[in-house]
Amino acid sequence: MATEEAHTTDGNEAAREGEGETDGSAGGADVSDPTLAHARELPPAFEPYAEESLPQVGVGSPGKVGELEATFAAGADGTTDLVADYARVPYHLSGTLGHDVDRPEFASAYVQSPTGGVAQGDRNRMVVTAEADARAHVSTGSATKVLSMDANYGRVDATFVVGDGAHLEYVPEQTILHPDARYCGETAVTLGRDASIVLADVVVPGRLARGEAFDFERYYARTTVDGPEGRILADTTHLAPGDETEDPRRAGVLGDYAVLGTCYVATTRDVDSGALSDRLAERVADGPARASASALPRDGGAFVRALGDRADDVREALAATWDEASRVLLDAPAPDPRKY
Amino acid sequence: MSDASEMTDADADTDPDGSSPEKGSTSAGDARARLAAYRLADSFLPVGGNTVSYGLEQFVQSGAIADGDDLCAVLESYLRRQVGPCETVAIRAAHDAADDLDAVREVDEALRATTLAAEFRESATKAGRRLLEVEAETGDDPVVAAYEERVASGDAPGNYPVALGLVAARRGIDAEEACLLHAHSFLTDMLGAAQRLLSLGHVTAQRTLDDLAPVAVTVVEENADRGIDRLEAFAPLVDVHAMEHERADRRLFMS
Repeated sequence: MATEEAHTTDGNEAAREGEGETDGSAGGADVSDPTLAHARELPPAFEPYAEESLPQVGVGSPGKVGELEATFAAGADGTTDLVADYARVPYHLSGTLGHDVDRPEFASAYVQSPTGGVAQGDRNRMVVTAEADARAHVSTGSATKVLSMDANYGRVDATFVVGDGAHLEYVPEQTILHPDARYCGETAVTLGRDASIVLADVVVPGRLARGEAFDFERYYARTTVDGPEGRILADTTHLAPGDETEDPRRAGVLGDYAVLGTCYVATTRDVDSGALSDRLAERVADGPARASASALPRDGGAFVRALGDRADDVREALAATWDEASRVLLDAPAPDPRKY
Repeated sequence: MSDASEMTDADADTDPDGSSPEKGSTSAGDARARLAAYRLADSFLPVGGNTVSYGLEQFVQSGAIADGDDLCAVLESYLRRQVGPCETVAIRAAHDAADDLDAVREVDEALRATTLAAEFRESATKAGRRLLEVEAETGDDPVVAAYEERVASGDAPGNYPVALGLVAARRGIDAEEACLLHAHSFLTDMLGAAQRLLSLGHVTAQRTLDDLAPVAVTVVEENADRGIDRLEAFAPLVDVHAMEHERADRRLFMS
């Protein structure tokens, strides 16, 4: 399989290869054997791209395979620390910041990149673990640009493992798709018992301010969340504006909206998912984005979908979702999301 | 939800692998299978098709659908984004798995995880349970009865496409035909809702059904090889309308 080339150039592959595809949804997942995003097979729509060789440095060369591993653990005093981290270009992880004044037990860290964005042939992989009872927030320092491509594709895999009693947040800045970009993102979350994750994603179909929209070729992003009792959700965003049948600018899909945001508040805690959904819906109902909420399968929390004309409108809806989720789950507000 | 729960019904002594279904090996059997397919595609089937609108009511309420053309465009998106890459895939997978109810349940759970709007899960499981109940009563089929019991006990969700795939397999209806009849009955349910919401004329409804037939054929074909791990239901505006419908003040339909 063409995707394997990308993975075999770097070392410690044994765990992943042994893992195989754990997408069977019947059995429960276990944080000691989590679902790994980078173990996933390539979506069929990307197979033709994978055969295209690159004019620049090859797939899997140094700088083309970003790796990031970060593990957060709760200490004896209840505060969380970053206890292990490893980053390989183009990933860099900031030190932890203690700016979360209303949630002092939290550790916050920012994923940074010295490159201009995701380029053709990039294969980036992130694994973030929150061990039992940890509280961690991870974001990015700036928007992720998926650069123009004329061969191959860029792939970003993110795995989140949330231990028993832990709470993890991944609320990155938006992803901006430049002309002819081809992006494949796989995200896999494994929750332990009494665990929760807030996972947000905003996709912007171009540099809207310069009148560029829907000039990218393909954007595919799949997210799964597994809990001890089985799969809570599997959600796929698939945008291919050049493809007649996949064009998202259709009634019922994006309609006339440009920017799509989703925030999953998935949990195995003992919360009333319907009530959580109602509170999230109330927070986003009168905002600048067209947004609402619904309860997730398996009583596994709730999620918000938001559509807007501008990235800021959708970001505002997701920031409100994050804040409300923090109030419901942890009884404390989220910090101001501004980073500048 | 208890994954380990066994059949709780005291009558549950049927063997799932017991008697064989009425397969269409003879021409009389083929004719029986075709009649069963007509019955399953008919809005006369009491599975509550007239109580659901899958968000359509909210599209009309919000003004996003005002006439037959708007309706046709939205229904095409449902076919391409939800019925095709999600529901027909579940129908085929359940049809293929009909000899192994644990495998049917896996398909059922995968479909539940993909159906994110709560009202859609509620509508799909209510209809699925009714279909299984009707078939367990009328078909005298121990496999369908056994799955109906697993659903009734909470061991499996009982989504409609999965129930339909299982029933179709047991009735000797092939998987492709089951997918087509599902696309047809989905459209007739939606058009029935539209007639009440939009005062859509009978002829316009029939024309829309006929105009969408090629799309139905295409989405069934295009998704024939899609695996259960690639179930995909991507229609964010449908999701948002379904979410808003949950909280709407006046509702004619359950979804």
